[in-house]
Amino acid sequence: MSTFKDADEVYAYIGKAMEACVTDPKFVEATKDGSLVVLITQTDPAASILVDFPGQKVLTGDAAASAPSTVQLRMSSDNANRFWQGKLNFTLAMAQRKVKLEGKRTTALGLLPLTGPIFDAYKAILAEAGRDDLLID
Amino acid sequence: MTDTITEGEFDKVFAKAEELSEYFREIGPKYDTENTFAYPSIEAFKKSGLGALPVPKQYGGLGGDLLATSKVVSELSKGDSAITLAYNMHYIMVGMTMGLMSETQNKYWLGRVADGDIMFGPFSEQRAGFSGLADMKAIPQEGGGWKLYGKKVWGTLCEAADIITTNATITDADGNLPENFEDRVNAESFFIGEFKVDENGQGDGISIVKTWDALGMHATGTQTIVFDGYYVPEDGFICEWRSGAFGVLEWASLMFASIYLGMQSRILEESRAVLSKKTLGAVFGATVAADVKVSGVGHIIDGIGDMASRYELSRRVLYRTCTEVTEGYDDNWPMELRFPYIGLAKTFIADNVMHMSRHAMSMVGGSSFKKGAIFERLYRDSAASMFQPLNADQSRTFIGEHLLAPEELAD
Repeated sequence: MSTFKDADEVYAYIGKAMEACVTDPKFVEATKDGSLVVLITQTDPAASILVDFPGQKVLTGDAAASAPSTVQLRMSSDNANRFWQGKLNFTLAMAQRKVKLEGKRTTALGLLPLTGPIFDAYKAILAEAGRDDLLID
Repeated sequence: MTDTITEGEFDKVFAKAEELSEYFREIGPKYDTENTFAYPSIEAFKKSGLGALPVPKQYGGLGGDLLATSKVVSELSKGDSAITLAYNMHYIMVGMTMGLMSETQNKYWLGRVADGDIMFGPFSEQRAGFSGLADMKAIPQEGGGWKLYGKKVWGTLCEAADIITTNATITDADGNLPENFEDRVNAESFFIGEFKVDENGQGDGISIVKTWDALGMHATGTQTIVFDGYYVPEDGFICEWRSGAFGVLEWASLMFASIYLGMQSRILEESRAVLSKKTLGAVFGATVAADVKVSGVGHIIDGIGDMASRYELSRRVLYRTCTEVTEGYDDNWPMELRFPYIGLAKTFIADNVMHMSRHAMSMVGGSSFKKGAIFERLYRDSAASMFQPLNADQSRTFIGEHLLAPEELAD
């Protein structure tokens, strides 16, 4: 059984973390001249989040799935919960096909230096919402 | 000053490589026969300054990219494949570490390389070679840092090195490896440190055990390195090993390819030298004639043409791969296939160098089979191309698995 009840929960926590980050001045400065638009497609429950870093906006649901992106990241919602807390070994997950990353490599690699602050934002949002069941030690 | 080596600067570097290659060619046979590391090569290599080639200019190096380094490695290998395979370890590890170390680490360690220090990196262990997660343990110490315990079996260049890089799995304080597979992957780490041993190969918590005795590549000095409490301070931690390594393994794969391209060139050179002059006189065999010059025999003509074609194709594959990686064309490959696609240059060249070394012996005749003949030496040394990662079988597995994998995630 998934740790998330439905897609709305995914958007309420992971989506919210992304919204907090795309307008953070550090992210804006780091991504404003790039083309990093990440479509996160999750399964179980199915959810889509588009994180447009240069455009400083986040879309969810059908609007996200139909918008153009430069990097596509696919994983289960459970693994997304682990990943956005820095608890998923990405290289291993890719080798085991638990995560699929597509798009131009150099563009995708632009996401990596940004993940640390996203992990912090996501964990803070979960803690604030009292979702200890989603937090991983 | 440009960031990377200029054409004029490279011409000077290549002239030094030609000179060093001649020296390797001169001393190589002695160390192949004696089955030991070519000790005089250390001073010559350091004096040449070629060790600083891949070090970025900002750290005092020459700013050579993959292609520049590849050309130098091939030129040296043309002189002597085994001695060059030893120093190739230095180029591989400098290339890999500089993409993974912090700015502070790069300044210190690459600065030392720019000043002449030599780097090596033993990673493979007996159990499963390079693929095996490190059984070597890095046990955390109370005052910080780790002590390393274990054994690495492919310590190429250890007898010349000043700096060691290696991988080990960080344990708990009692030395227990993580039980969970993912935790174990996470704990496998990449380290760098001093490598100081005495004339008997004994150092503080580290030693060289002379185990190297192989079919070919005798002068590489590929000994066993034993870690028995070798201390690495905290600033010797580079990164998590597997995640880091997969991003920079082009330095390993393409430099190995460069070794075997140099060997292809040498095989062609030696074959031409013999076959252009050889005369059989009166023969009654596959050819029947009163006076046969080998250079006029059809299969010899074709054979040399085939060798030259294989060399030229290999050169183009290697140079183009270096260029595509340096210029970012690899962005267009599926991410999972980046490493095996880079590795195709090496596997292609490996197949060709082995074909050429065998074919050369067949064309030259029985004299090439005798000990001391350059052809039997090249035949033995070329066989090493089957092993360095990725080999042809591994590359095909990576590629095939990716292409046959279902779209669904494997959860």
